[in-house]
Amino acid sequence: MRFFDPHIHVTSRTTDDLENMAAAGVRAVIEPAFWLGQPRTRVGSFVDYFNSLIGWERFRASQFGISHFCAIGLNSKEANNEGLAKEVLELVPRFALKEGVVAIGEIGFDEITQAEEFAYSEQVSFAKDHDMVVMVHSPHRDKKRGIIRSLDIAKEIGLPMAHLVIDHNTEETVKETLDAGAWAAFTIYPHTKMGSERMVDLIEQYGPERMIVDSSADWGVSDPLSVPKTAKRMVERGLDARTVELTTWQNALDAYAQSGQIDVEALLQKPAIDQTQLFADNSVLRGQAPRVDAPVPN
Amino acid sequence: MSAFLLLKRMLETRLPRPSVQWFRDACTEITDGVDDVRFAGLVAMASRHARDSTPLAPSADELKRANETLEGWNPERWGLLEALRAALVLTRSDLDDDRGVLAVESLFAFADEGEQRALYRVLPLVPSPERFAARAGEGCRTNIPPVFEAVVLDSPFAVRHFDDGAWNQAVIKAVFLGVPLWRLFGLDTRLGPELARMALDLVDERRSAHRDVQPELWLCLGEHGGARGTEALLKELDASNSNTMGRCAAAYALARAGEGERLVECMENEADSVVRAAMQEALDGNVASTVFRKLRPEEGA
Ligand SMILES: [Zn+2]
Repeated sequence: MRFFDPHIHVTSRTTDDLENMAAAGVRAVIEPAFWLGQPRTRVGSFVDYFNSLIGWERFRASQFGISHFCAIGLNSKEANNEGLAKEVLELVPRFALKEGVVAIGEIGFDEITQAEEFAYSEQVSFAKDHDMVVMVHSPHRDKKRGIIRSLDIAKEIGLPMAHLVIDHNTEETVKETLDAGAWAAFTIYPHTKMGSERMVDLIEQYGPERMIVDSSADWGVSDPLSVPKTAKRMVERGLDARTVELTTWQNALDAYAQSGQIDVEALLQKPAIDQTQLFADNSVLRGQAPRVDAPVPN
Repeated sequence: MSAFLLLKRMLETRLPRPSVQWFRDACTEITDGVDDVRFAGLVAMASRHARDSTPLAPSADELKRANETLEGWNPERWGLLEALRAALVLTRSDLDDDRGVLAVESLFAFADEGEQRALYRVLPLVPSPERFAARAGEGCRTNIPPVFEAVVLDSPFAVRHFDDGAWNQAVIKAVFLGVPLWRLFGLDTRLGPELARMALDLVDERRSAHRDVQPELWLCLGEHGGARGTEALLKELDASNSNTMGRCAAAYALARAGEGERLVECMENEADSVVRAAMQEALDGNVASTVFRKLRPEEGA
């Protein structure tokens, strides 16, 4: 089976993770720009971070046969540093139109402040003007109100709902998201947001249309194999193949290919791992296949 | 014919019609004058008109014209999108003054991997390319092999504009990364004792680690390896070495070092027909760096 994990912060993951993801069938990922666990203090930190998303991280994933796309945006937490936020918002157009940037994201609300609303609105307007998709991060606290606010603002600005993906949904928010016409994404996170079992319940209840499963794996306790693991649970519980395909591959592809920044034909081809790059001495793979049951080979 | 005109012709016969129109409009806009953000936007959005996975695939005649335009410029392995972006850069009429340099540097500052490749490929084609020598040196520090290749391969930039330190580093790094050194234009014109010493140190390092020596590493010696070089080559060529491509490479390198007589001796007892053929070719004088293309499996070796 092949999987599309449309929300994962690969920057924070090791090559072991990439290897395991590739082995489990993850063929494509989207890495949305987010915060790094602590606030940045200079705009230059954002320049380098965005550059790594469109450069090094894309290349790193490609060495494992994984197509790496990204979303560019100013996240909600750091939108609250208003001086810095203004500088970052000016930076967004320099990165958002790049090849393989499939959305503005992840943007939205954290504490639901005025500053967050300003940054969100500015970026949704940019997305609308450039015919782009928006990936929305919904808050951990006061989630339902945050999602409704995100939907309302996007509607006011005139972003087509088909270009809006609301992430981190729960049982309590999925109906609002789907009724609005947006895509409903779910983060399968160990212990907290949503487990595989609850996810399968939701898919049984709401059907597979516009439902997207992702891992949001990052620098915290999280699981980069959430998508294939949830697919496996779906199969075990007797969901049909089309449902599994839609929620773990096709819906994400359909939603984000609207950006025109996914070479779908190239993606559908078998992943080609270039051996000359794979064994390059000075890139991420150093000619070794790390295994714990064997000594370190040359 | 200028590089811009050649690229323009190649693009106009390959891009779909709406994209040709987009390209012409973009050229007009750039010629009329655009700010840096808009210019960068055009270069970025070229990806909506040509896919990175589509090769440019120049004809033999186009390749000949490219080399006539600038000796050593070989767009054989360019992508269509790279050509489109290169043409957009060359459209600027201010490339020979500071304004143009700033605009190109600003592109580099925000370039993704594909844009970096296109920008490094276009550097030898802009006026006074030496102004970008430091930028190209920065490109050589990349960890992304396709970007490194765009800086140093199929282009006369490195041989013309790198100082000795940068040149030697680029050559050895190419071997390290496993990128095809035979595609480094002008390699044979810029060999020397320092490069040979660096290469031989690398040979020792590989052998201590019980790893094969990369066949193209032997290209770095030329006639500057001295007794140490000859000894290392004879060891590589020895029948006990199971690395056939390495043995072939050593045969060529021995001839390149002017040790033809040694090679004749080795050939008398040679059982491996592949190695024998390489020895014969080497003795026939076919020893330019490009002969190492034959040692690359992906080139059909
Ligand atoms: Zn996230």
